Amino acid sequence: MNETVLTVEKLGKSFKHHPIIQNISFEVKKGEIMAVLGPNGAGKSTIIRNIMGIMYPDEGSITFHNSQKNMIPRHKIGYLPEERGLYKNVKVMDILLYLADLKSYPLKKAKERAKVYLKKFGLEGKEQSSIDELSKGMGQKVQFIASILHEPELLILDEPFSGIDPVSQELFKKEIRSLANNGTAILLSSHQMNIVEEMCDRLFMIHRGRKVVYGSIEEVKKTYANFKCVIRGKNDRAVLEQISGVQRIEQNEDVSTLYLTKDIQPAKWLKNLPEYMIIQELSLDRISLHEIFIDVATDQNLLQEAGENYE
Amino acid sequence: MKIMSNTIKIAKWEIKRNLKNKSFIISLFITPILFLAFFLLGNLANSDEDQSVTTVYVNDKLNILPALQEAVQLHTLPFKLQKTGIAEDKIEDLLKNRENTAYLFIGEQSLTDGVVPVYTSDVISPMFANQIQLLAEPLKALQLEQLGLSKNQLAAISKGIVFEQSTVSEISKTEGGGRETEKILERIVPGAFASIILLSIVFSGMMIFQSASQEKKDKIAEIILSSVTPKDLMQGKIIGYFLLGMLQVVVFFIFIIPIVLWKIDVPIFHYLFVPHLFLFIGIALLGYLLFSSIFVGIGATMADIYTTGNFQGLVILLPFLSFVFVGPVLTDPSGLWAQIGTYLPFTSPAVLILRLSILEEWPWAEIVISLAILIISVWIFMKLAGKIFKVGILMYGKNATPKEIWTWIRQ
Repeated sequence: MNETVLTVEKLGKSFKHHPIIQNISFEVKKGEIMAVLGPNGAGKSTIIRNIMGIMYPDEGSITFHNSQKNMIPRHKIGYLPEERGLYKNVKVMDILLYLADLKSYPLKKAKERAKVYLKKFGLEGKEQSSIDELSKGMGQKVQFIASILHEPELLILDEPFSGIDPVSQELFKKEIRSLANNGTAILLSSHQMNIVEEMCDRLFMIHRGRKVVYGSIEEVKKTYANFKCVIRGKNDRAVLEQISGVQRIEQNEDVSTLYLTKDIQPAKWLKNLPEYMIIQELSLDRISLHEIFIDVATDQNLLQEAGENYE
Repeated sequence: MKIMSNTIKIAKWEIKRNLKNKSFIISLFITPILFLAFFLLGNLANSDEDQSVTTVYVNDKLNILPALQEAVQLHTLPFKLQKTGIAEDKIEDLLKNRENTAYLFIGEQSLTDGVVPVYTSDVISPMFANQIQLLAEPLKALQLEQLGLSKNQLAAISKGIVFEQSTVSEISKTEGGGRETEKILERIVPGAFASIILLSIVFSGMMIFQSASQEKKDKIAEIILSSVTPKDLMQGKIIGYFLLGMLQVVVFFIFIIPIVLWKIDVPIFHYLFVPHLFLFIGIALLGYLLFSSIFVGIGATMADIYTTGNFQGLVILLPFLSFVFVGPVLTDPSGLWAQIGTYLPFTSPAVLILRLSILEEWPWAEIVISLAILIISVWIFMKLAGKIFKVGILMYGKNATPKEIWTWIRQ
């Protein structure tokens, strides 16, 4: 079991008496990529800003396990905010060294690592270029390098892939994975489900500041990626419970959602439905992480109407 | 200790960033160069005037030319005296095509009539008519000598009678006039020095305004704040721009002092390093801290310094409020307006420096009250700026309204 680097417990924050995040609890472990997922305005950046000490939580606690109590070990954290940029009229190397210096990272080492990373990201020879001479993509690479140059124990990336071209995206993904493999704890916020599914170990999904799903990708898939059958029609719960291959039932007036076991064969299962069942509408579909996310984002009941609304 | 080191890192960065900025370097040198240019142009104009020397030909029948030369030297008159034997009736043609030329005809008749005929060219210094009167002294002396007066009698007559006025306080003083001038210079030189410091650091303080606002525009504030606290960032900016202001002062003096020492015959350093200097510098520093804390706080509430059209733009004019008091203070340095200006925190640094440079007797009670007000104001504005800066620096894309700023202050 990897050691826990960060623990967030029952975090809450309000603006003008309006709760932005409530009762948020999760952990980030060494060497794992943990995703915070949610639609825009769900509270992802607020959670991150509270962790970084840029905002102060109204309730709850944030614990960095490798540092003194109530101290944010800023020099051990790498941070790439969602709203990001760099000074326009300074040289690439100057800004990288300045940001490393703020993290109390040795200058000589920072210089060497900066050169290695600039080469890795295709920015070799740009050390003395002014930031405003770089393209937007190049600027984003410099920002990313700045966040990892000081070898952070915990790397917090707020929407790291937004506005990045696919080639750079691959480069970033590879580097993030490699950092995790080398023991960096990574907390990544995103609304791009496919990327999260591809590279994260665990996820914490929030909506309107509250937890919706939390667990490893595997657990989440096990819970949500099975087939589900949505039936419109007034059926007794007892009748539905007799159907084989049903793991869980949710009923809401005339609509019943049957969560099916992993091993069912859809055609065979449909064929075995009791003839006396009242069926006005029926849909059978597999729910993916993407759909869970979209469902949350559009504020519909989780797992409902999946087959009707999404391809 | 850690906080301090982060503050210093920020300060160093601000200094380095500006020193690599072409427009800052230009402004660093352009101020003293402009000052020097105006100073030297003024001098050049004066020396041009000095150079318009009048050639004065003297038809001297009394052998008085050496005495006239002495008078010219004594009064540093712009005259070049030359002996001539030309007759009075021929000079009209001679003067027709000349400039700055005059002919004097001095003979026995000049002494008996008391009139010396002077003929000048059409173009002549307007000061000539007054200056030439100073040559009357040696003639008067010769006139009196011919009357048979003794040397002592001559000296007494030629000395003339002067009414010399003294006030009661002056009677009690044993020092001479030289000591009085020294005392004035001991106030004015440190006062002028402190004024330059105040002006330079307040101008560089204005750059904080732009720096905080630009940091928001470039969206780097949050990256910086992931490494340092808002307090570090704010303090670092204040210290950094203070040192940049002092650098401006140093560059200014490197340019100015040698020229001033060369042109003005005053031992500036002798009058500068007096105990008063510390008070003057202290006032200037308090002024800087007051304005820089306001600028850093308000700068953090602005999305873009160039598009502002609201109250934040007016804040930058606060240091200029002091100019309103310059007239009244010069007229009456102890008057009501001078006192009001001394007690208002935004105007007190400049008004105090001005008053203390002029006033012979310093109003210590007023100075202490004013400094107390200033120190308390600096403390309050630093606190307020900290609260505003903390929230404002992360609010991207729009200017904060006064209502929002008020909410942040109350939090």
